[in-house]
Amino acid sequence: MTSPFALPAVALVLVITLILGFAGVRLSRSTSDFFVASRSVRPFWNASAISGEYLSAGTFLGLSGLVLLSGSAGFWFPIGYAAGYLLVLLFVGAPLRRSGAYTIPDFIEARVESRGARQLTSVIVVITGFLYIVPQLHGAAITLNVAAGLPLWVGAVVVALVVAGAVAGGGMRAITAVQAFHYWLKLFALLVPAVLLLIVVAGDPSPPDPHLAFPESAGPAGADLYRTLSLLMALLLGTIGLPHVLVRFYTSPGGDSARRATVIVIVLISAFYVVSSTIGLIARIAVPDLAAPGAADTAVLALPSRLLPGVLGQVVTALVVAGAFAAFLATSSGLVVALAGVVSQDLFGGTVRSFRFSAIACALTPLLFSFLTLGGGLVSSVGLVFVFAASSLTPVLLLGVWWRKLTARGAIAGMAVGAISSAGSLIGAKVVPRNSWWASILEQPAAWTVCLAAAVIVVVSLCDRSRRPRRADWFLSRLHVPEAPDAS
Amino acid sequence: MRERVRVTADSPRELETPRPLAQSREAARSGHSIAEPEAVYVYGLMRAQLKLAFGCLVGFLATAGSLAVLLTTMSVLNEVILWGVPLSWLLHAFGFYPVIFVFALIYATAARRNERRFRALKESVE
Repeated sequence: MTSPFALPAVALVLVITLILGFAGVRLSRSTSDFFVASRSVRPFWNASAISGEYLSAGTFLGLSGLVLLSGSAGFWFPIGYAAGYLLVLLFVGAPLRRSGAYTIPDFIEARVESRGARQLTSVIVVITGFLYIVPQLHGAAITLNVAAGLPLWVGAVVVALVVAGAVAGGGMRAITAVQAFHYWLKLFALLVPAVLLLIVVAGDPSPPDPHLAFPESAGPAGADLYRTLSLLMALLLGTIGLPHVLVRFYTSPGGDSARRATVIVIVLISAFYVVSSTIGLIARIAVPDLAAPGAADTAVLALPSRLLPGVLGQVVTALVVAGAFAAFLATSSGLVVALAGVVSQDLFGGTVRSFRFSAIACALTPLLFSFLTLGGGLVSSVGLVFVFAASSLTPVLLLGVWWRKLTARGAIAGMAVGAISSAGSLIGAKVVPRNSWWASILEQPAAWTVCLAAAVIVVVSLCDRSRRPRRADWFLSRLHVPEAPDAS
Repeated sequence: MRERVRVTADSPRELETPRPLAQSREAARSGHSIAEPEAVYVYGLMRAQLKLAFGCLVGFLATAGSLAVLLTTMSVLNEVILWGVPLSWLLHAFGFYPVIFVFALIYATAARRNERRFRALKESVE
């Protein structure tokens, strides 16, 4: 399965990323009409960048692995991710852009006028970010292990170091060009193998029996209703609470253009998920022997060399590896930028030096965690992040944007209850017997933890009427009133 | 005409200082609710946008939910094989994205219309 072109491909991606990143400031100035000012191009490139950051190891490697392992239930993940962006568009996209907040803690502090609420938000944001970076590093570890035969720790260390260095050096600070490049690389890196593999599979003179490759029990009819609904709730609502999503809206000039960019994001990520799902289907036909926990996540990397002859197989493998690295780099650098902003502001007063220090800390801490937890499925560990974000941050963001009566105490209580109940339940799921009726409720807790957190926010805020933020009305009007026509 | 737009983040300091709409500057500074006629329109806009968002959400959930029910209950879909894959699998893999896109497009267009209406209303008063 190893390919001699894999390491050069990874090196090339790293070099292009760093060049685009460090030259990004100059580049975007000299071609500012392309990246910044020209209104007709702008939402499109911005959307490419948002998509580039959003598509992570979970969908690049993990999706086909999950489809191979557990059947069509795996398709709910990308559907949930894409629909999550629909909810971002419907409820928070334009208002969060207009809030002028750069991070979620900025927004919460400005909305409920409380330092305490800000600090709790920061802690939750940092935990969410760390949890999300860990699977990216796992993905990198698996990739270099399978495609280049290197020990597992190498990939994780390479990505963590590159991201730490690039973000600390200022090279990747929300540079649109880098993230946009990563999106198109990822799409291309799956589209080319998908087309070639389809040609090979279609030309197979004795195709496998469809009912063996796609048994009804693993199909849509075999799903557990509660688990599916609860999972979808976490995926749909979790996107709103992800730390790196809000920052990206800032590159839109106004609320309306943020909305337009979000619609394009939905198209771009859907296109990627369609290609990625196709590879999942091909994997069920062509490499059923990889359907084992641990091995399944390598299906995308294994497919090209299994089905394509000689050098072509090796070149395509290298392309897939390059795309996978773009996924790890884009998502983890986006997260590290967002986290370093939060950490440096809350702990060190927000100087440039502290941002650099925080960036290094935020990239290296998850690296330590990743050594402890290697081996879990990629998609399901990303799923946990969505459960946590949906329970702790999403309710307060939604109510903050739409409900005037929110108070600081309500926000704090709701975030704490959401975070503790979802984390406790996910940990509890590890100890209870697997097939007891409440194992499902603990393993997929979003359906009740999100509602619980929202209820706590509402009840506490209503009991705390005298402490309503004085400027709530002003702030809400700022969120919802459109900019002057020339700015949108 | 080309025009440069620089996009920068407001510092948290700036966020704490109100930047009121010109018409309601006094009211916002004193920390009370914004000027009365303006406020009515703002709440109207918020209500309209929230109603629109919920409408789109319900529409999306109903459409996607029906598709999901169809997939899980119609065993006929499992018998139809296209390109070696049962139709139920194909629909599950690819069928939901167009639904998501259509509702995103409907929302973005209608939200824009709501804002245009709000602007027109505000201008007609001034």
